[in-house]
Amino acid sequence: MRPGQPLAAALAGLTLALAADVRPGVAEAPQRIVSINLCADELLLRLVPERVASVTFLARDPTASTVADLAAGVPVNHGQPEEVMAFAPDLVVAGRFSARAPLRSLQRVGEEVLVLGVPTTFAEARALITDLAGRLGVPERGAALVARMEDDIAAATTDPAQRPRAVVLSPNGVTVGEGSLVAELIERAGLHNVAAELAVDGYGRLPLETIVMAGIEVLIVDAEPDAFPALASELLDHPALKRLGRRITLAPVPARLWTCAGPQMADAVSLMAAAAGEARARRPEADR
Amino acid sequence: MTGPRRPPALTPTLAAVTLVLVAASTAIGYAPLDIPAAFADWIAGRETVAQIVLVELRLPRALSGALVGFSLGIVGAALQGLLRNPLADPGIIGVSAAAALGAVVAFYTGLAATFALALPLGGIAGALLSTVVIYALAGRGTGTMGLILAGVALSSLCGALTALALNLSPNPFAAMEIVFWLMGSLADRSWNHVLLAAPLMALGWAITTSTAPALDALTLGEETAESLGFSIAVLRAKIVAGAALAVGPAVAVAGAIGFIGLVAPHLMRPLVGHRPGALLVVSGLAGAVLTLAADIAVRLIPVQPELKLGVVTALIGAPFLMTLILRLRRTA
Repeated sequence: MRPGQPLAAALAGLTLALAADVRPGVAEAPQRIVSINLCADELLLRLVPERVASVTFLARDPTASTVADLAAGVPVNHGQPEEVMAFAPDLVVAGRFSARAPLRSLQRVGEEVLVLGVPTTFAEARALITDLAGRLGVPERGAALVARMEDDIAAATTDPAQRPRAVVLSPNGVTVGEGSLVAELIERAGLHNVAAELAVDGYGRLPLETIVMAGIEVLIVDAEPDAFPALASELLDHPALKRLGRRITLAPVPARLWTCAGPQMADAVSLMAAAAGEARARRPEADR
Repeated sequence: MTGPRRPPALTPTLAAVTLVLVAASTAIGYAPLDIPAAFADWIAGRETVAQIVLVELRLPRALSGALVGFSLGIVGAALQGLLRNPLADPGIIGVSAAAALGAVVAFYTGLAATFALALPLGGIAGALLSTVVIYALAGRGTGTMGLILAGVALSSLCGALTALALNLSPNPFAAMEIVFWLMGSLADRSWNHVLLAAPLMALGWAITTSTAPALDALTLGEETAESLGFSIAVLRAKIVAGAALAVGPAVAVAGAIGFIGLVAPHLMRPLVGHRPGALLVVSGLAGAVLTLAADIAVRLIPVQPELKLGVVTALIGAPFLMTLILRLRRTA
């Protein structure tokens, strides 16, 4: 499914959904799927747009979602059990961090609930997509999506000899330490993630002093300029960073590009790789 | 005035301790810093990393700690004197909650993204607006009780509106950020914050200190103080204005730091012979000492991510308050 043709996709989806009912062998595959998790929205809209009955309201928000165009014609929900039941789904897809109480309510009334995990490595991201596509009865589309994700990321990957030192300023809920998906993306962009050196774990913002003293060359800001208010942008106005401006390259990476596993992660790698290139280019000048 | 006389060197001693802690706060950080070399770079005008850390990060942090602590301490002492209630603190008249709301509004309307310092300016505006509301509610005619009720009402309203803003936030991560911000911290403050807050705070301190004779007279009762020529209405107005000018910028710069304004006057009261007028400046200094010490502790305690200043002061302040209650019960 290419973005840019959501209406056609929705229409095609309608006919496909009708046809699927009579096809033997796919009868057990869910036909009316409701997602109550943004990452599930993204994968479902990419894998089986014709069978998605409802996605979360976040899916339509272009600052939060990478499938806003695909979600434009799909009814939205806010994760409330009543809303979800009104769609009469045969599968509800949730995320590991979805609120527990609504999930239990849904299970109590007999809804089938699938809880997606949060991948921490590329291998896990691959497995997540493959498993979900298998469950939906479209393994070939899953394989295609995994291939597209891997190709896009491989195309954006660089492996320079000189890796600029980088760190994520404000890890908005994504783990950026060793052994996380984001850490892998940072490495692929040709950067050296110093989070481990600085003992950063999970949440918690690095103090500017640490950033200044650690000789950071690329500061990855988990935010999008002007997208929504974030304190991180207030911090970027700090005179200490302004004065270091000639030594530090800022790499703003919108959270939607790496919150969920998918081909959009390649865009995050590209953004960071561009900043890495800039940092390398200014290196001799800074040494002088 | 009975009770022990104030040790003559109390104020200079506290001032000296404050200075020592400002120096310690400058010397202690997240990473070792060659302070003499950094100062040498600063004087020579060399733009090195050490110099940037010293001048742009450590000095503003230490100074804002002293300013914020002094403001909380002096206003706490003034309010305890005015309300003649040892449990009063700067939050009681709603100034802190209003300042927090102002900052949150500045943040969510996107104003904070349009220009630097919109956040602290929003906080200051919130604090000043709160005085207008308090005057409207409890300006003329109503007594001290009216002032407390107005403050409680304003605090609840501002707290609810802050929660509403968080609830409606388009960005769940931003809500988390602002919750952490409200817990209070001096991390990554800049000279802009110090220069914005200091003049207003100084004005607030001046107004508050000018109430010392009236506060002393008030210990004899409102009627006696009036008969001595002190207008209670004017005193009330001065203290509310002083609180807004001093604590509003403090909250706007450092978030909500609890218990300093409550505890500092209690620590100092026995040392100044229970005279609320004499208590003002020493409480301010004690507040500065406590805030600086807590901020140094925050950086020395090896907990990642670092503890919030407001959390540390509350962790120390709450048990103190409990012992205070026990002591009150014993003496009663």
